[in-house]
Amino acid sequence: MTLSGSRPLIEMRDVRKSFGTYEVLKGISLSVNDGSVVCIIGPSGSGKSTVLRCINGLIPINSGTIRVGDFAVETLKSDKALIPLRHQVSMVFQQYNLFPHRTVMQNLTMAPIQVLGEDPRKVRDRAAALLAKVRLTGKENAYPGELSGGQQQRVAIARALAMEPRVILFDEVTAALDPEMVSEVLGVVRDLARDGMTCVLVTHEMRFAEEVADEVFFTDRGVIVEHGPPATLFKSPSDPRLKDFLDKVL
Amino acid sequence: MNSEFRTFALGIIGVPLCLIGLLAMIYGDRTGATLAFIADRTPMLLTGSPDFSSLQGGFIANIGMSLAAMAIAGALGIILGIGLIAEFWPTRLLSGFVMNVLRNSPWLVVLYAMLYLLPFEMKIFGVWITISPVVKSIAGLSLPVAANIAEIFRGGIEAIPTGQWESARSLGYRRLQILRYIVLPQALPLMIPNLMTIYAMLFIGTSLVVVTGASDVLFVGRTIIETAGSSTASAIYIYILFLFFLFAFPIAILTRWLERRIGTVSP
Repeated sequence: MTLSGSRPLIEMRDVRKSFGTYEVLKGISLSVNDGSVVCIIGPSGSGKSTVLRCINGLIPINSGTIRVGDFAVETLKSDKALIPLRHQVSMVFQQYNLFPHRTVMQNLTMAPIQVLGEDPRKVRDRAAALLAKVRLTGKENAYPGELSGGQQQRVAIARALAMEPRVILFDEVTAALDPEMVSEVLGVVRDLARDGMTCVLVTHEMRFAEEVADEVFFTDRGVIVEHGPPATLFKSPSDPRLKDFLDKVL
Repeated sequence: MNSEFRTFALGIIGVPLCLIGLLAMIYGDRTGATLAFIADRTPMLLTGSPDFSSLQGGFIANIGMSLAAMAIAGALGIILGIGLIAEFWPTRLLSGFVMNVLRNSPWLVVLYAMLYLLPFEMKIFGVWITISPVVKSIAGLSLPVAANIAEIFRGGIEAIPTGQWESARSLGYRRLQILRYIVLPQALPLMIPNLMTIYAMLFIGTSLVVVTGASDVLFVGRTIIETAGSSTASAIYIYILFLFFLFAFPIAILTRWLERRIGTVSP
């Protein structure tokens, strides 16, 4: 089973999800190869963020299958059963969602210590290295409320990395930032992509998607309308809905 | 604590002056003798004994009962509060039912219920244990307070943004861990002013336990009036009013100060 070879790291097959009577995902299938960067683009309300939340089991699905590594996500029902998956899949949110009552350092170390039961000293060393990586050395003892939005989001990325995941999900991580802070956060994501971290990004930054993505998925009204390498998808879109969308945002 | 300090100074000086004025209006030229009478009975009213030899009753008993009831209500309230936000809906429904019944019952009615529902003595692990009026009073007071604490608890928890739950879950935390490590540390400071207010209400409510026969300050006061004559009634009741004020007023001021501090200082 563990012999994956060329098997994708993430595979979603015909995933459906409804909130009440409203069907958000109407049969989503996509796959993400180990070490690749995948961007999901599309109009608001098309189900992009829901796709991410299904991958790490934050939202249970109605039908279909989701496989991440060796985990069949749809079969993991309790939070306890989901812990090993969450060790492998980290997530960064639009609103950062740092823990405001804890320092930057504690934000990075608390989950590896409290959830994964790792040695606190080792975790702290790792966290210090990660803070250097997101260029926030010296902010260890600051509280999230004392940092700018861009700095907070970089802490959130470091917090996701502290779990030593195989894949990171980015949910519109620059959407809540002031324009001058977008590039510092995208720079960190770009570094991660170069280092070979598997990344799934929901984003409105088309230029960035074009630059870093290995594959781009365009979603509209709960289905994947078109997907392919960014060069083809952005330069010669075939679906009229995608053409229309790109005309509006580019 | 500028504005609170001014209010406190005004109250702590002004209210006693008003009460003395009231005494003077009622007792006229006997005011001095009445004050001496009150001073003489103060140990009795405070401790239930004429010379501080025991702390079995009087105002001390009110404080003791309020603290015991608050501790029990706190524990019960947290359990009930966790029930109110449970994922499993039958738990939520049952907790909501219990909470609403208790919260909407008049305290006096609950006290009477305890008086007649709890037996005079009970067999626990083969030992007969007497259930004193004090125990019944504490039980009766803690039930409605527990319901109020449960509501404060639920409100405090729901004031924390859902993004905190979501990011904690994505880091592998489980529900009770999220409550303990992430949500409660943020919610508790928001709850403290409300908890102090409910404690002040509980403390004032201890004056109701006189119906159970517990020898609280009102019970002692009544005994004094019966022996010393009804002309002393006004003085004794005004004095008891003063004692309650002396204890509850600083709590109210502290609550207001905390409210302002928590409101303006971000974590």
